[in-house]
Amino acid sequence: MNSSWLVTLPILLPMLGAVLGLLFRKLRRLQIVVTALVILSALATSLALLMTVSLTNRPVVFQVGGWPAPAGITLIGDYLSAFMVLMSQIVLAAGILYATGCQDKCVRFPGFYPLLLMLATGLTGALLTGDLFNMFVFAELMVISGAVLTAISDDRFGVEAAYKYFYISLLASMLLLLSCGALYATYGTLNMADLSRQISAKPDLPLTGLAMVLLLVFFMIKSAVVPFHFWQPDFHTAATTPLSALLSSVVVKLGVYGFIRMTSLLFLDQAPEIRQALVVMGCIGVILGGFGAIGTHNAKRMLAYSTLAQIGFILTGIGWGTPLSLAAALIFTFNHSLIKSAMLMLAGGMASRAAVKSAAFQVLVGVGKASPAAGVLFFLGGISLAGIPPTNGFISKFVFFTSGLEAQAYFSMALIGVASLLTLVYTMRGFMKIWWEEPAGSAKTKTGGDRLIIPALLITLCLILGVWAEPLVNLSQHIVSWLDNPAFYIQAVLGG
Amino acid sequence: MNLLSALAIGTMFAVGIFQLLRRNVIRSAIGLIILTNAINLFLFTTGAYQGVVAAYDGLNGQISDPLPQALVLTAIVISMGGFSFVLGMLYIISVRYKTSDSDQIKGLSH
Repeated sequence: MNSSWLVTLPILLPMLGAVLGLLFRKLRRLQIVVTALVILSALATSLALLMTVSLTNRPVVFQVGGWPAPAGITLIGDYLSAFMVLMSQIVLAAGILYATGCQDKCVRFPGFYPLLLMLATGLTGALLTGDLFNMFVFAELMVISGAVLTAISDDRFGVEAAYKYFYISLLASMLLLLSCGALYATYGTLNMADLSRQISAKPDLPLTGLAMVLLLVFFMIKSAVVPFHFWQPDFHTAATTPLSALLSSVVVKLGVYGFIRMTSLLFLDQAPEIRQALVVMGCIGVILGGFGAIGTHNAKRMLAYSTLAQIGFILTGIGWGTPLSLAAALIFTFNHSLIKSAMLMLAGGMASRAAVKSAAFQVLVGVGKASPAAGVLFFLGGISLAGIPPTNGFISKFVFFTSGLEAQAYFSMALIGVASLLTLVYTMRGFMKIWWEEPAGSAKTKTGGDRLIIPALLITLCLILGVWAEPLVNLSQHIVSWLDNPAFYIQAVLGG
Repeated sequence: MNLLSALAIGTMFAVGIFQLLRRNVIRSAIGLIILTNAINLFLFTTGAYQGVVAAYDGLNGQISDPLPQALVLTAIVISMGGFSFVLGMLYIISVRYKTSDSDQIKGLSH
């Protein structure tokens, strides 16, 4: 009967690919072929995982080493994890394929593709694990690969940005470790299903609140939620383009996943307080991110600030806490990943065509004249980010505001509605600067920058999901119906 | 013994957080490793005082919980690797700016 090994493949395949890539470090072409094959097969397995979950209608659970649940480490692909893994693998595959056509010098570093694959391993592992300590290990793997990749970037300030990120992330990981210690001292287990059962049995032991707050802070630092966002714009600007497309779209979603898990599985009794905090942080994030994006003078930095705002939308959706708003948050998560990675790739591609390699607007003015097709793509991405039909951004905003009406959260909705107009302002400003304005004087463009086929594919996917949105909406409603029933998850892991 | 380790953890937390907030980047990195070790010690003490016999011994008596020890070993290795990477980056930064005062390392304040 057993197809439970399926859940290990999205983690093991990239890890295997990283090892092979290091073996072939002298043979660059072979390394690229192996990396592309590995990440595409990982994408196929994560699609198979989601199909299996939806066909059998039960989570895929794998007990590592055959040790039964509370003692051993559990890997679990339930609907939410499988969905998030599929989303991550789509963008990871896109980013890695973009890197093969990228002109940056750091892409030729022999460790580049293995490190990207380790990033993929860490991200999928953290999404699929059912054990809190295991999540720490995978998150640390992800952080260290991301930081190393930024430190070797072509940008002059790569090392500084990587230092900032790594320092704050190491601190965040230590807070997660502290939270693990507190939970273990109180409940004697680190398995998430077992923890959920025990926390709802005894919700007010002395260290529970501490553990909850520390876990919340960890996930906030991971997805750059407002009081902990200061490292994010620098880091996402300095990273090389394929990497910043990954960081700004899927790596920040680990925190989103964590918030959903915390409110729907781990801390059921404390969930209302967490949700309130999330709504406040989300609204501040939307406003701050919008104004930050308007105020900045760099295309990639603008998109990094925009991530801050979009994460704010998702957090507010989780915070409203109704089934529909949770579904809206999931749709938003998926669509934002596609749009943001495509737009960052387009902005980075234009930066690679500029006379001086930089994403600053003063360098980029008029650079897009030579590639009007990219301009159309960027424009489509921009209106998708702002939520104008016929794009998938419209679907996410539509479901989001419908759920807000249903939850009767008028104040936060008005605040966000006004702030979301800023999205249109900054994306169109970016478009005008790069593709519309005449270049000043003798600004030359280089011929042949990064290959732009991958962002074109991603934008096409955005348009398809905008016109044919039904599967995604249905899928997210299925996910929410599972999230409403944590006993199902617990039973799948612990049995009985 | 319990009180002693509680005091030790508390002191290390205090020193670590104080160092973490210093202006000198090298001092603040050292603060991070002290804080890390305080957390490792805390994790270790969550299972240290219940048992007297090691789990693999097969002897009679209350066996001590091996899980915190396994966790703390992993955490020590990870924090050691992370700290060495932090020091490597700090070396590059302090060579580039010829200072370790965080106010003068302005590469990113644009």
